[in-house]
Amino acid sequence: MDQPSLAGRFLDELRAIVGARHVVSHPEDLLVYEYDGSIDRRAPLAVILPASTQEVSRVLALAYREGVPVSGRGAGTGLSGGAIAAPGGIQIGFARMNRILEVDTVNRTATVEPGVVNLDLDMHAHKFGLRYAPDPSSQRACTLGGNIAENAGGPHCLAYGATTNHVLGLEVVLEDGAVVSLGSLARETPGYDLRGVFVGSEGTFGVTTRIVVRLLPLPETVKTFLGIFPDLDSACTAVSAIIGYGIIPAALEMIDALSIRAVQNVMDAGYPPDAGAVLLVELEGLREEVEDTSREVEAALWEGGAAQVQVAEAAEHRAKLWLGRKNAFGAFGSIAPNYFLVDGVVPRTKLTQVLRQVSEISQRYAMPIANVFHAGDGNLHPIMLFDERVPGALEKALAAGGEILRICVEAGGTLTGEHGVGLEKKEYMPLVYTPEDLAAMKLARDAFAPANRLNPGKIFPDGQDHPPSPHRAAPGLYA
Amino acid sequence: MTLSQHLSSLLEAGIQVLPPERLPAYAIDGQTPQAVAQPATRQEVAQVLQWASAEGLAVCPWGGGTQMGVGNLPRQVDLVLDLARLDRLLDFQPADLTVTVEAGMTLAVLQSALAQGGKFLPVEAPLADQATIGGILATGATGPLRLAYGLPRDWLIGIGVVSAQGVASKAGGKVVKNVTGYDLNKLYTGSLGTLGVIVEATFKLSPRPADFAALVTGFPSAVRAVLAGQQLAGQVFAPQGLQVVTGPVVRRLGLEQAGGNVRKSPLAPLYERRVGGISRIAPEPRTGEALAIAFFQGRGLAVRRRLEESRRLLQSQGGSEAAVLDAGVGQELLGRLTGLGWAAETAPRLGLKVSVPPSAVGQVAALLSEDAASGADTGIIADPGFGTVRLLQWGEIPPNPPFAKGGSGGFDGSPEKIARLRDQVRKLNGWVVVEQCPLGLKQQVDVWDVEPQALEVMRRLKQKFDPLGTLNPGRFAGRL
Ligand SMILES: Cc1cc2nc3c(=O)[nH]c(=O)nc-3n(C[C@H](O)[C@H](O)[C@H](O)COP(=O)(O)OP(=O)(O)OC[C@H]3O[C@@H](n4cnc5c(N)ncnc54)[C@H](O)[C@@H]3O)c2cc1C
Repeated sequence: MDQPSLAGRFLDELRAIVGARHVVSHPEDLLVYEYDGSIDRRAPLAVILPASTQEVSRVLALAYREGVPVSGRGAGTGLSGGAIAAPGGIQIGFARMNRILEVDTVNRTATVEPGVVNLDLDMHAHKFGLRYAPDPSSQRACTLGGNIAENAGGPHCLAYGATTNHVLGLEVVLEDGAVVSLGSLARETPGYDLRGVFVGSEGTFGVTTRIVVRLLPLPETVKTFLGIFPDLDSACTAVSAIIGYGIIPAALEMIDALSIRAVQNVMDAGYPPDAGAVLLVELEGLREEVEDTSREVEAALWEGGAAQVQVAEAAEHRAKLWLGRKNAFGAFGSIAPNYFLVDGVVPRTKLTQVLRQVSEISQRYAMPIANVFHAGDGNLHPIMLFDERVPGALEKALAAGGEILRICVEAGGTLTGEHGVGLEKKEYMPLVYTPEDLAAMKLARDAFAPANRLNPGKIFPDGQDHPPSPHRAAPGLYA
Repeated sequence: MTLSQHLSSLLEAGIQVLPPERLPAYAIDGQTPQAVAQPATRQEVAQVLQWASAEGLAVCPWGGGTQMGVGNLPRQVDLVLDLARLDRLLDFQPADLTVTVEAGMTLAVLQSALAQGGKFLPVEAPLADQATIGGILATGATGPLRLAYGLPRDWLIGIGVVSAQGVASKAGGKVVKNVTGYDLNKLYTGSLGTLGVIVEATFKLSPRPADFAALVTGFPSAVRAVLAGQQLAGQVFAPQGLQVVTGPVVRRLGLEQAGGNVRKSPLAPLYERRVGGISRIAPEPRTGEALAIAFFQGRGLAVRRRLEESRRLLQSQGGSEAAVLDAGVGQELLGRLTGLGWAAETAPRLGLKVSVPPSAVGQVAALLSEDAASGADTGIIADPGFGTVRLLQWGEIPPNPPFAKGGSGGFDGSPEKIARLRDQVRKLNGWVVVEQCPLGLKQQVDVWDVEPQALEVMRRLKQKFDPLGTLNPGRFAGRL
């Protein structure tokens, strides 16, 4: 594909499949497709916007024949470089495959195209008294196709599980254009759990063209607590206390002092500016369940050392508290122009210890690190705040992130809880997996994509450097 | 070298091998293995697999032996790898709500260890005191509480396996949320030991529920009970588990023990309620009738509310007055129902598992009830909220079954009937797996039900993970 004429012919063939308007190849138009929400960057050869499974299949068959690597692209909110095209590769975008095809209220399932935005599905389900539970903080923008690829999580995954626990069936196109159904409309599908291993495969097994997810009935009662703490340690103690009471809340989120400041800079979410940390605890379920557990949650918050506990039952009050949490990343733009975050997970009992180590790193690197994260599952999001224009700042942020990942692994945890390995963390994989572990994973990929043409260069360490360029924190982008 | 020479080298390596007289107990579909090894560690498992695969032997992993009849006929059974000695609790962290165990530990032993720490693994399996964690994962076993808790795949967060060639590896980890690398947990779960031997598993846990209760209501037909159950399953007050069962199943649950024995039966209260005037919920329903059984688990107040509202809803949908079972009796019933058909005393001649979207359970129950109504000793266990229907047929079917009139019917062991049912169920977006059947039938049908394109991917997976066909050859879908 090095000869321009060859590339030109290839593009013409792509245009013949999807229509000339739906092949983006002008360098300027490609700028927005160079990056995702993370720090890596590379322009694709072209972006193809198909309208149907058949078109996706024909695009893939063509790219396969031509030896061109292909990456799927949802909304580009990914935080591990997952959607970045391989060198010389094309991206398939799903902006035109964004329909909710069906909501089945009896079976409580929805069938959607991959470009459907997470929140749109959830809001649509609400009309039927149902919900789509996985709720990444990026849910206003991110797509179901991206959620499947990353096995996205979110605050409410504490009680309801991540994306994988909600996917019943997938229609996918393999690298050579073959269309395969994985799973089905039934809860159990005989044979190997292909949809199970596909979810979280970061676009390397196949391109998702249709998705069947489970919907849950909307809860009868929802109650949100805001625990206000003098410091991070005491908030962590409260997290352990809640779990210790035998309560798994619907959500249990931590927002530290720096994050509170960032959020309150751009909106009033009702977080006290002088607090050392706040915990957002949400209980959902039957009235009786919520009432019963409320008392214990409140006790646990006080036991942890809360200075104040607020309860929000009214929908608007709860929405306000959540707005702050869900827009925190964007809000960091009010503190520094750039951020880099890592997604390590630790056993929940190690939170206090690991966060202390993170704070040490922050001091050592003289770089502010904010923490706003899914405390209930031990899923940290330490966020390095910096200015890319300062020479060496990006390298410093990356190094600090690397140290934090090491600490997470040493504490019995892992590299990523929901954002994926992608380009960003592939070289860290040997910290958690032996060559044998990685070899077994590659066998699975070789079965789905023997020629490794889909999103190559991701997940597995290969010593290939990838040129990071910092992502600009964008206040208001997700607000 | 002969197999026995190899075995002696294993013996020298300290790996336990069973004496010949114990081999028949390890027969799989009538094939007795040439040897049974009982490794005690992951390293020993690896050692055994290294030489077995090098020798081209067929190796069949064995947990509690409760589901060894599941699957297609093995092409070959040379060596059984009995994992019962890998039964250690490796790491239980109550405060983190995680546990790591070796694969040979039984579910019952694990649950009692967890209970001591106030925790509970929401995984069920038939015969929990024999079924091992490895076997449960390999078969993807479930029970009635799947309505609330899902499947074993939803609780497994880390796995240790030994490959067909004896290489140990792991996937996942010990944290409850993890997307580091591919989710091979899902691939090994339900793979029937055909992709690797599971030696270790890490689960996330649930706090131990404080209360438990069950509710039994009678319905004039299985279909009526299923439709009512379907409604119930969509409510916020839905029970944690919900089953519809017909007469022949109820008879085998031991609910009908008469006279003096009933007082000793743990299910006596149900019987007493009946004697006490609730005659319409005959614990043994008449032909065509069915019972809906709901299980509730959680905190006291919530359990009571769910139970009350469920009772009301079921009755408003045509259910009889309900019997309420307390924790002890309810759990006994749950255990018996989960194990039904898997213990020798209740094993059917033919056992089918139909998986469909919940809305199709009524239709499937109707299809299958024709058979039950024909007078054959055939029962149904349906899960109207989850979408599973098990058909259990005990004893021989009359030669000219009355349901031949175009219905599904007549699971007389003929492959044509199975194929016809599969066609019908496929139209309902579901699948029919033959879980138990005479060997004659296994020779003629693939007991699994898989779409051709998906099977192609499965074939490639098997090829990659077990290129020599060492592990359980022939038993999986497509006789992989
Ligand atoms: C502010 C912010 C908050 C976030 N909060 C969360 C959070 O709470 N939880 C969480 O899990 N993540 C979170 N993320 C990360 C990100 O939103 C998720 O990973 C999301 O799932 C990505 O979806 P996307 O549509 O943007 O996918 P993209 O970024 O476009 O792509 C992600 C991956 O999916 C692949 N892909 C996309 N579509 C397809 C398809 N149809 N077929 C095959 N592969 C495909 C891509 O190749 C890539 O590998 C957050 C990100 C931001 C910016």
